[in-house]
Amino acid sequence: MKSISLYQDKNTVIHRIDPLSKILYILVAIIVPFLLASQIASAAFILVSIIILLMGKSLKRTVPMLGFSGLILITVVIIQGIFRPDNVTPALVLGSVVFYKEGLLFALGISLNVINILMSFSILVLTTKPSDMVETFVRMGLSPKLGYVLSSVFQIIPQMTETMATITDAQRSRGMETEGNLTTRVKAFFPLISPVVMNSLITTKERAIALEVRGFDSKQKKTFLTEVKKTRSEKVIKIVLAAVLILSLIGRVLIWLR
Amino acid sequence: MSNIEIKDMYFSYTENEPVLNGINLTLDSRTTAIIGQNGAGKTTFVKLLKGLLKPTHGQIFWDGKDISQMTVAQLAKYIGLVFQNPNDQIFKGKVIDEVMFGPINIGMSQEDALDHARKALSIVGLAGTEDENPYDMGLSDRKMIAIASILAMDTDVVIFDEPTIAQDYKAKEKIKQIIRQLKSDGKMVLTIIHDMDFVAECFERTIVFAKGNVLLDGPTAEVFAQKEKLTQAYLEPPHVTQLCNRLGYQQTFLTVEDFVAYVKRTLKK
Ligand SMILES: Nc1ncnc2c1ncn2[C@@H]1O[C@H](COP(=O)(O)OP(=O)(O)OP(=O)(O)O)[C@@H](O)[C@H]1O
Ligand SMILES: [Mg+2]
Repeated sequence: MKSISLYQDKNTVIHRIDPLSKILYILVAIIVPFLLASQIASAAFILVSIIILLMGKSLKRTVPMLGFSGLILITVVIIQGIFRPDNVTPALVLGSVVFYKEGLLFALGISLNVINILMSFSILVLTTKPSDMVETFVRMGLSPKLGYVLSSVFQIIPQMTETMATITDAQRSRGMETEGNLTTRVKAFFPLISPVVMNSLITTKERAIALEVRGFDSKQKKTFLTEVKKTRSEKVIKIVLAAVLILSLIGRVLIWLR
Repeated sequence: MSNIEIKDMYFSYTENEPVLNGINLTLDSRTTAIIGQNGAGKTTFVKLLKGLLKPTHGQIFWDGKDISQMTVAQLAKYIGLVFQNPNDQIFKGKVIDEVMFGPINIGMSQEDALDHARKALSIVGLAGTEDENPYDMGLSDRKMIAIASILAMDTDVVIFDEPTIAQDYKAKEKIKQIIRQLKSDGKMVLTIIHDMDFVAECFERTIVFAKGNVLLDGPTAEVFAQKEKLTQAYLEPPHVTQLCNRLGYQQTFLTVEDFVAYVKRTLKK
């Protein structure tokens, strides 16, 4: 079934990594540059994220996201570059418009941060199956019910689209015009609404029953269908990430002590 | 007499997974059964005839006209399809609305549509359920509603996708009756079906699909005489045919009546 999530099923090392490690990576990628107050650290993490995404064959799919945030970042660069209060050193003169060094550097910092956050989240979102992600959350203590709601969110839109396609087929195969110009299509949309809603309600009821007969509401502690594979490399990844975090903490303290 | 001509038709849902590989067929006024293993591509084939799917290669002609030039809705006037799964077909909250939906869309007046719908419902044995909600009815009744809503449209071609699903003996007899009636009204009847005894009793022509190809096509008795090829398609002939074959009769018997008549004749001699 199609899904609204950005995840694409590919068989790469990155796809196989435990979602928990990816979440940990996001935390490290965000916290470390913040602790060290270092733009170089941000840039480094961006580079690492790019490499990981390349390995996961998913780098291209970040382009639309980058494009969208790029638009916003450009406005940040323009506004900060020209109007930031502590602007003193002119860096670039375009006709009557002057960009200042302080503002541009500040905007660069923001841009690096935003791109860094975006890229590290991309790794999680683009290479992790939504259901695996939810399962990880449930393992970490999220209630299975909430987990179910979360994973339904990923399914509900594709399911609706499928129901709509089915009903459209039922309608046009009995002579209702659904193809053609905009007016026809708009007209064809309204008769869809009530069956789709009714259908969803019925499916929901049936699903509730199906879940209930399989003990969804049982008070027993739930086990998981899949076991987390505790491989050496997974451990190494987590330890490295933790080490980076601790080292940067120490670094921060050292900076303070100086 | 109208016909459907399929020329060199290929189809696949996803790349590299061909579902139909080069189908060439002409469908005519003979009642025709389409049989074949699950997943052979039968439903896909009839959805292509309905225009719901588009061939990846090849053409389909309805009365000489290429159907890719018509919308599904336009084609609906001529070709009616009872879906395999009634849940995919029924979407109204009232039986009568469901059955009148098609007739009204293809241009019948309100009165004509109501008239046709009432008749169709009584043909399938559901007269009196007009105001019920189809969602509250069982699968067998829903299948009958699906049938009625196509019958009510009075199309030249009627295609059934496994009409006997979930039906008891009495309902099956009713469906046989409906098919015979359609035939005598001069309609083209095409039926996908897994019940070989039913095929033997009702259809003049049988087409066997196997892995996206037409494996056998011909008069039903000839098709059921081809034991090896049927086995190849994981099908078995009707029970009487098998019985008589094991008993060593050379002739292919399709129905119990045929065989009984034959035995009586030979005994008299
Ligand atoms: N919507 C779809 N998307 C992708 N593949 C599909 C789709 N519908 C059917 N298929 C595949 O196409 C093949 C043919 O399916 P089809 O439904 O035409 O078989 P069938 O002969 O009608 O089988 P059955 O006797 O079970 O109804 C199957 O392998 C099926 O898995
Ligand atoms: Mg089928």
